[in-house]
Amino acid sequence: MGCSSSVPDRASGRSGGLNPENSAADSKNLRVKLVLLGDSGVGKSCIVLRFVRGQFDPTSKVTVGASFLSQTIALQDSTTVKFEIWDTAGQERYAALAPLYYRGAAVAVIVYDITSSDSFAKAQYWVKELQKHGSPDIILALVGNKADLQEKRKVTVQDGTEYAEKNGMFFIETSAKTADNINELFEEIAKRLPRPTSS
Amino acid sequence: MAERSIMLHILEPRRDAYGFALRPQHTHRYREYANIYKEEEEERCYKWKNFLDQVATSFQVCPLEEANTNILQAETSEHKEEIRSRRSSTGDDSTGSNSESVDTTDSSPTKLLEYPIEIQKRVVETWCQIRPSLNAIEIMMSSRVKKKIMKDEKTINGGDHLPPLEEAETLDGTSVANSEEDEACISGSLTRSTSATGAESRMGECMSNSVKPSKRDGVVAERVSHDQLFTWQEELECLVRGGLPKDLRGEVWQAFVGVKTRRIEKYYQDLLDQETNCSADNENNIPSGVPIKLKKQIEKDIPRTFPGHPALDENGRDSLRRLLLAYALHNPSVGYCQAMNFFAGLLLLLMPEENAFWTLVGIIDDYFDGYYTEEMIESQVDQLVFEELMRERFPKLVKHLDYLGVQVAWFSGPWFLSIFVNMLPWESVLRVWDVLLFEGNRVMLFRTALALMELYGPALVTTKDAGDAITLLQSLAGSTFDSSQLVLTACMGFLTVTEVRLVELREKLRPSVLAVIEERTKKGRVWKDSKGLASKLYSFKHDPGSPAEKKKKAAGADAGPCTPNLDDFLSGLAGDSETESLPDLQEQVVWLKVELCRLLEEKRSAVLRAEELETALMEMVTQDNRRLLSARVEQLEIEVAELKKTLAEKKEQEVAMLQLLMRVEQEQRVTEEARINAEQDVAAQKYAVHMLQDKYEKAMASLAEMEKRVVMAESMLEATLQYESGQVKATSSPRSRNQGSAQENQRKISLLPFALGWRDRNKGKSTEEPSE
Repeated sequence: MGCSSSVPDRASGRSGGLNPENSAADSKNLRVKLVLLGDSGVGKSCIVLRFVRGQFDPTSKVTVGASFLSQTIALQDSTTVKFEIWDTAGQERYAALAPLYYRGAAVAVIVYDITSSDSFAKAQYWVKELQKHGSPDIILALVGNKADLQEKRKVTVQDGTEYAEKNGMFFIETSAKTADNINELFEEIAKRLPRPTSS
Repeated sequence: MAERSIMLHILEPRRDAYGFALRPQHTHRYREYANIYKEEEEERCYKWKNFLDQVATSFQVCPLEEANTNILQAETSEHKEEIRSRRSSTGDDSTGSNSESVDTTDSSPTKLLEYPIEIQKRVVETWCQIRPSLNAIEIMMSSRVKKKIMKDEKTINGGDHLPPLEEAETLDGTSVANSEEDEACISGSLTRSTSATGAESRMGECMSNSVKPSKRDGVVAERVSHDQLFTWQEELECLVRGGLPKDLRGEVWQAFVGVKTRRIEKYYQDLLDQETNCSADNENNIPSGVPIKLKKQIEKDIPRTFPGHPALDENGRDSLRRLLLAYALHNPSVGYCQAMNFFAGLLLLLMPEENAFWTLVGIIDDYFDGYYTEEMIESQVDQLVFEELMRERFPKLVKHLDYLGVQVAWFSGPWFLSIFVNMLPWESVLRVWDVLLFEGNRVMLFRTALALMELYGPALVTTKDAGDAITLLQSLAGSTFDSSQLVLTACMGFLTVTEVRLVELREKLRPSVLAVIEERTKKGRVWKDSKGLASKLYSFKHDPGSPAEKKKKAAGADAGPCTPNLDDFLSGLAGDSETESLPDLQEQVVWLKVELCRLLEEKRSAVLRAEELETALMEMVTQDNRRLLSARVEQLEIEVAELKKTLAEKKEQEVAMLQLLMRVEQEQRVTEEARINAEQDVAAQKYAVHMLQDKYEKAMASLAEMEKRVVMAESMLEATLQYESGQVKATSSPRSRNQGSAQENQRKISLLPFALGWRDRNKGKSTEEPSE
C-alpha cells in the first residue's frame, strides 16, 4: 500500500536472499507469517487470543491498525511451526493498511461471522483482494466464527464450504468462545504448509 | 471523578489511577511507579499553581476580566436553554446522560462557583466553561486556532485527497510564512532552539519569526504585550513537558485545542437533533444523517471501548455514542474511524460532553487532518516520513529490521493511528498527549516514536526473527512506565524533528501514497508489491532518463529510498498500459539487456553484501547473546536476591521457633527437676521419719532398760537403806566404833540425798518422755 511503494521493494528484494519471509528455518522448525482479515467484530482478535493464550474475553478491545502475537505448535511428525500472527483492524477503511500486513504472508485466514451475511460478503471481498494482491502461493483459509450461535445463523455451512471449494480454500467453522475448532484450524494450516525440501 | 477513580484503584488493584485496566504482567511495575507518579503529581501541582497565579495577576491588569465575565454570562444563559431543548428532544435519555460530567465538575471547585444555579437544580451539564485561571492559556492558544479556522474557510473543503494547506503554501510565497506561523506561534521557542541544528528548518523559521509579531499583534496581543506572551509560552512549554496536573488536564487540554474559539453555540445540539430526527424519520440512509454503515460500526465499537471502565457505564456509553454520531455528521469526510472511539472515550473521562466534542473536532479536523478519512492518506504519508526519519536516525537498527524482514510501519502504524492509546501505559499516553495537544501538530507523535526506538532499539537489535522483534517491541512499549523519561527523551532528543521538516518530508513522500491509492481505486491491473522484473522494466521504458539514474543509484551501494518519481511511474503504469500501444520490441530488448546487466550486478553485490552482513550478524549475535545473558543474569540475580530475602525471613522464623522450643524445653526441664526435687524431698522426709521412728524406738528401748535399771537401783537402794538402818541400830551401842562409823554414816547420808534426787529426776524424765 502506501508504504509499499518505496520500502517493501527493498524488503522483498532482500528477503529472497538472506531471510525468506514466508517460511523459514530448517525443515523441522517452520516459521510462518499469518494474517487475519475480515469484517469488524467477527472475532479475529478473539480467535488469536484463544489460540495463543487460551482465553476468551467477551468484551475485547477494538483493534486499531493491527496487533501482533506469535505462537508455536508442535505437530505429530515432530516438526514445530511458529505462527507469527498479524491481527488486523476490521473497519473498511483500514483495508488501506492491510497490504502492509498481508504482504509476504504465507497464510491468510479470512474470518466471517456466521450470524452476519454482511461479514460473509466482506470475506469474499478479502478473498478476491488476496487472490489479486497476495503472494501467489498464499494459503487461504475461510473461517466462519461464532459457531456457538447456531440459533442466529445467517450463513449456512454449505455456503461457506461451497465458496471455499470454488476458490481452493480450506474451510472451517470455529467458536472462539467455546474454543471449538480453534486449534484444529491452526493445525490444519500447519499441515498444509509447504515443507522446505531438506537439503 | 478523580476521587472516584482513586477509590476504585484501591478497591480493584487491577486498574490504574485513571480506572483503566492494567495488564496482569504490569501490575507489579505499576505499583512501583505509582509512588513516583504521586510525587511527580505533587510537584507539578505546585508548579502549575505558581504559574497560573503569576499569569493571572498579569492578566488582571488588562481589561480582560470584564470581557470574560460577559462571555461567561452569555454562556450560562445559553447553556440553560440548551438543556431545556435537549430534554424536550431526547427525553429521558439526556437526563441521566452525564453522571460523569457532573463528577468532573464536582471535583473542581472553581466550576462549582461558576455555576451555582445549575448545581442547585441538579441539572446535568453538557457544556462547561473552563476555569478562569486558565483563560490566559486559552487566549495564548486561540490565535493558532483562529488562523486555522480562517484558513480552512478560505480553502474549499472538498478535496480530502489533497490536503490543500501545504500545497497552497509552497506555491504561494507569502502564505508559507503564514502556515509556519501556526506552529511557530505555539512552539516558537521550540523551533527557535532547534534552529541551531536544523539548517533547512532555519529558513522557514526566520521567515515565520519575522512575520509573526505583526500578524499576531492584530489577533491577540492587543492587550498583552508580545514579549510577555512569549516568556509565558516558554515557561508553559516547560511545564507541559513536565506533565499536566490530573485535575487540570481536561481543562488545559481544552485550552490547548482552543475549544472556546472553535465552539459554535448550539452547533453540537443541532447535530444531535438532526441525527435523532433522521433516525426517527427514516431508518434508511438519508443523506443528511449518519450513514447506516458508520452507525453500525459505532454501535459495534462502543462496548469495545475501554471495556469495563467504571465511567463507561450505560450513561457514559450514551455520551460516547452521541459524541461519535455528532462528529460523523460534523465531518462527513472522516465520519467515524476506529481509534476515534478511544479518543472520544478518553476525552469524556476528562470533560463534559460538548467540550469533549469540540476537543475531538480540534484533534481530528486540525491536528490529524486527513488521518482518519476514508483513504487514510496522511496516516500513510506519516508512516513513510517516520521510516525516513528512522533510517536517518537509527541506520543500524533499521538495517537489522530490514534483515529480519520487519517493516517499520508494522508497529509505527498502530502507534500513530491510536496516538499511543492502548500502546503505552496510561500515564505515558497522557503525558504524550499533553505535549501533542500543546504543540498543535503531530511532531510529538514522531518524537515519541523515535524516543521509543532510542529506548528500545538496543534490545531490538538482539532479536533473531521478525516475530520476536515485534513481540519484544510491543511488550517493551507496553511497559514504558517511566513517562518522564519518555517525554524528555522525545522532546529533548529529537529537536531537529520539527514541523517544518515533517512538512517537507510529507511533501516529498505524499505523491507515492497518492499514486498507490489512485491505482487501487482504479482496480486496473494486478499490482504486486514484490514487483516483478516486467513491471520494473515497464516503468523504465516510460522514463527515458531513469536507467542512467538507476545505475548510478545501484553503484551508490546503499539503497536509499526510491524516488517518488519512480513510484509515480510505477503507479501511472496501470492506467497507461491498457491504453497505450505495445512498445517497440527492439527498444524493449535493449532495455531488457541493460536491465539484466544491472540486475546481475545488483545480485552480485547483494550476494557479497549478504555474506558481509552474515558475518556481521554472527558477531552481533554473539555480542547480543552476551547482552541478553547479562540481562538474564541481572534478572536472575534479582530473583535470587528475592529468594534470599525470603530465605532469610524463613530462617529468622525458624530461629524464633527454635528459641521458643528451647524455652519450652527449658521450662519442661525445670519442672521436671522441680518434680524430682520434690520427690527426693519426699523420700528424704520419709527417711527422716523412719530414722526418727527408729531413734524413738531405740530411745524407748533404752528408756525401758534405764527404767529397769532404775527399778533395780531403787530396789538396791532400798535394800541398802534397809541394811543401813539395820546397821545403825546395831552400832549405836559401842562408842569407839561409833566415832568411825559416824564418819562413815555421814558419808552414807550424804550419798542418800543424791540417790534420791537422781531417782526423782529419772522418774520425771520418764513421765516427760512419752509426751515428746
